[in-house]
Amino acid sequence: MTNRITACEQAGYLDGLAAGLAQALTDVEIVAAPGGTAAVPADWASDGETIPHSLAAREGVAFVRVPAATETTATLTELGVLLGAARLGATRRLADHAVAHLSGRTSGGEPTIRKQLVLGTLADLLTEVEALRVQLMVSAASAETVADVHHRITDLDWEAAKLLGASGYLADSPGRSCHVSELVANCWVAG
Amino acid sequence: MTGLEPPLLALRETIGEIVPDLRKRALAIDTAPADMAAHLGSPAFRAICDATVPKRFRSGPTVFDQFETRSYLARIVATVELSRGDPGVLTASPGPSLAGVVVDALGSEEQREMFYRAVADGPLWTFFAMTEPDRGSDGTAVETTLTKSESGDYTLVGAKRYISNGARGAIGVVFARTGPSPLSLRAALIRQPAPGLTSRPLDMLGLRGAYLSELRFDGVRVPAGMVLGSHLPLSRRGTWGIARTFNIMRIHIGAMAIGLAYAAYDYVASCLPGAPGHHMQAARLDAARQLLYDAAAAADKDPDDAYRPSVAKLHCTALAIGVLRWAVVALGPGSLLAHPLLEKWRRDAYAFEFMDGTTNVQRLRIARTVETARSQR
Repeated sequence: MTNRITACEQAGYLDGLAAGLAQALTDVEIVAAPGGTAAVPADWASDGETIPHSLAAREGVAFVRVPAATETTATLTELGVLLGAARLGATRRLADHAVAHLSGRTSGGEPTIRKQLVLGTLADLLTEVEALRVQLMVSAASAETVADVHHRITDLDWEAAKLLGASGYLADSPGRSCHVSELVANCWVAG
Repeated sequence: MTGLEPPLLALRETIGEIVPDLRKRALAIDTAPADMAAHLGSPAFRAICDATVPKRFRSGPTVFDQFETRSYLARIVATVELSRGDPGVLTASPGPSLAGVVVDALGSEEQREMFYRAVADGPLWTFFAMTEPDRGSDGTAVETTLTKSESGDYTLVGAKRYISNGARGAIGVVFARTGPSPLSLRAALIRQPAPGLTSRPLDMLGLRGAYLSELRFDGVRVPAGMVLGSHLPLSRRGTWGIARTFNIMRIHIGAMAIGLAYAAYDYVASCLPGAPGHHMQAARLDAARQLLYDAAAAADKDPDDAYRPSVAKLHCTALAIGVLRWAVVALGPGSLLAHPLLEKWRRDAYAFEFMDGTTNVQRLRIARTVETARSQR
């Protein structure tokens, strides 16, 4: 499982949320989703069956109606772990964008990246990434714990997106993945 | 604590009556923020304009004539309720918006007359242009220049970004610098279209009704009579008015955030009465609204106080994010796609962070207020 977690995080980090999602769904037999909607890579879905969502489409993610899962099975919990890793990778990718953005700006005559409040946020963000990765690895059997990881990733993504300032709120900015990542988790993770 | 007197309670109730009209336009405006034709005659837009234009400039009798709507407290009461309808529709509305706050603070009687007559004859959008590309909303970092010519008129050169209704505004306030000193920051009324002025809307993740835009000024001629504050002492022409405007803007942003959070709370209550945690969310929202009322009442007495507005903005924007997060969890897996309004509001809630000073900016302002008070003891 550790290798699969690492692979999902790397895919999310190197190639983005949709790539991480594809990695997480590979070799997982899913027939139903907790909310009756499956989030999948856009190239896995045919045009006629998707629920239109322009921001998700631009992120390479599509939503497809599937039967609603009546209980959280071991397979869904396993997917939640792998998806958590993929989202963590996307979070790190977003944080990298934020660091590059802040390194190119100045505030009060010095690079914004050197401001103490910014450095503090960045340090907290990286620490939480490390803690969440370990939680995924040691708590993979508990649906409740996996849900906790996803809620915390959603909060973490927002902290990373804030570092981009208003430019991260443009529809074509890296900040978009923050919202789509929550949409994906909202489809697959109960609790 | 600031209790609402019966007239303000009645104002709140009156505005509450247009909440359904605001709500029903929310998704259409989010999808197509440039397509306003179907909304221009709406009860929502009419009420927003009527409530925000001073009584003497209104084009005819309105339901708001019986109320005092000019105090900061009345404006915040109204903003919370309008945003409870939908903050995207509120920001999409024609009317004086925040430009009116600047004109009130810095404009001469003649300039106020010109601005509000134009708005009252609308529908007409206005804009407030402070934020610059790569500079944020820091007034001390403004690089746009306003240069006086031999004729006495001015020339405007520079660019502004993330300006609400900037690409469709017919008149607005633009902040620019007449020189390098801190006292050289000035505000000018600019009409659009104008030679040398180009604008374009920006594609945003949320609060898309605000139609955030980029404006570029390439030698725009500004008649001397359009520069605000010339009738005021030098120290009160620019920075002073901006600081005062930003104080009230911050309470407004907090009010929009809390109105939105109330909307999400109401929505969950209607879909899932008694949802887990609803008592706590209601208590937090009611407390945050009281914080806003207290900040607005304090601003009516001392509009130069920066502490309460920053506290209100910092707390309310964070709380709105939290309430929306609760709403998504309360309605369960798949809720964001099953409830398009909830999905829109989740995106909208993030916008308030970036308006008129981020979380870190407010944190610094609050801490510096304490530090300054200590050093003056």
